[in-house]
Amino acid sequence: MVLGFRAFQGKHTKRIISHALIFIALLICWESASNFGLLDEYLYPKPSGIFHSFWVIYVKNASIWHHLWVTIGLVLLGFVGGSIAGVSLGSLVGFNPTMRRFLQPYIIVIEATPRIAVAPLLIAALGFGIQSKVAIIILVCFFAPFINTLSGVINVGNDKLELFKSLGATKRQILVKLVFPEALPTIMAGERLAMTAALSGALVAEFIQRDQGLGSLILLYSRNLNMSSAFACIFTLTVLGFFIFKGMEILDRRIAFWTYEAGRIQRSNKKARKTLNLLEVGHG
Amino acid sequence: MNVMESAAMGVKTRLNVNTIVKGQSVTKTFADGSVVALSGADFEIEKGSFVSLVGPSGCGKSTLLRLISGLIEPSSGSVNVKGENVVGPRDDVGLMFQKATLLEWRTALENVLLPTEVKRKITHDDEKRAYDLLKLVGLEDFVFSFPAQLSGGMQQRVALARLLQTGADILLLDEPFGALDEFTRERLNIELMRIVTEIEATTIFVTHNISEAIFLSDKVVVMTPRPGKIASVVEVPLERPRSPKMQTSVEFNKLVEHVRDLLGEF
Repeated sequence: MVLGFRAFQGKHTKRIISHALIFIALLICWESASNFGLLDEYLYPKPSGIFHSFWVIYVKNASIWHHLWVTIGLVLLGFVGGSIAGVSLGSLVGFNPTMRRFLQPYIIVIEATPRIAVAPLLIAALGFGIQSKVAIIILVCFFAPFINTLSGVINVGNDKLELFKSLGATKRQILVKLVFPEALPTIMAGERLAMTAALSGALVAEFIQRDQGLGSLILLYSRNLNMSSAFACIFTLTVLGFFIFKGMEILDRRIAFWTYEAGRIQRSNKKARKTLNLLEVGHG
Repeated sequence: MNVMESAAMGVKTRLNVNTIVKGQSVTKTFADGSVVALSGADFEIEKGSFVSLVGPSGCGKSTLLRLISGLIEPSSGSVNVKGENVVGPRDDVGLMFQKATLLEWRTALENVLLPTEVKRKITHDDEKRAYDLLKLVGLEDFVFSFPAQLSGGMQQRVALARLLQTGADILLLDEPFGALDEFTRERLNIELMRIVTEIEATTIFVTHNISEAIFLSDKVVVMTPRPGKIASVVEVPLERPRSPKMQTSVEFNKLVEHVRDLLGEF
């Protein structure tokens, strides 16, 4: 066991080192390609230039922070709005077979239409400002939670429904104790898609209304041919996207814990610690 | 004894104080009457007895079980439990399926508590009772395990404990161990017999396995398909408690042969 672990660890370290070496080699190639005039420095900035821009926009004049927070705030606002709309509409349609039948063709039409195409119309209707930006994000991230909630709610196992009925459960109990928890992993999968969509939606909204946010900043830097700063913004988004992705994964592991082995073991142990003593009291 | 005569044995509607479940010309049709799942079934089930419904698929055995549970209503005829017409699920009738149908987000203990939770707020005593039931089915080390952490046999044990937690004294089991391997099934069957004897429950057990039906039951109801109906009722005079060894006895195998003959005609 110990030997096996060591071997694994050694392999792991080796792999990290080799990745780092390859990455550094790539950067050196890139840097020298620019230095020797093989790459147009205006369009493809040197790594050193990008590092410099990072330093400028984060530290020297710290100009990115405001835009970073604006974008994060926008993403969260739109995501929450889209999720609430998606989950509640999804449940509503899911629980109502008549409505489902009636809405089905429209759902297919909406699914086939790129939602982002409606963005300019939303601006025309709601005017420039945060309200239309949030509306655009809601529009792009609403659909995944909607469809997933809908399918989660209608795909509750017949045998489980029969069990609840045989126990004389009320409609409310079936909803709270069966349908919702059963649909939760599917809903969470929709939420993860929605979060990724929300980030893209925010950028598009900021590209259109270039007043503030990372999207507008990228647009501004690109127009001024300040490519190294634009790249610094893009890499910032890479990191932001990574954290959002990780954050959603952690949330999913907590909420739909029973779909993960680690989650089951953890909960199981926790409950055993909490309840076992209470149960053993009074037992011979 | 021909089929009609033996069927009539079960049909007799003589008054019996020990009768706990009774059906009178129970018919169930599906798809606007075009599919007859069960046709004119008459039966009486004695309190505390173990009765098996055996027959090929489409013979209406599951339908009959669902009719007694109150999940579905007969198209004509009536089903009585303790002298009352069955109009819906009852607290004293519990149902168990071939699939464990456990809730994956609940521990074994929480799954067993479900029937109580549906009725009222659970108390500490309820929790203790559920814990004891899990011990009874041999799962004391898996009280806090989630279904995905349990084997198929263990999951069925949880389902059995949940069935017992309902407090029902009429237990309806629809091929409860049918998806398990032979060894696990036999072990669980023996435990099931022990438990239902202990709590003096009336048990109605659906299976398509003839030996299993005879091994477990006081009476075997033989059913035939298209349309589903009760063909015959076979008494099993083997003594209790029963051991797996009995299955090799001459008497046992004669009964198996008899039931097989009754089914073979269809």
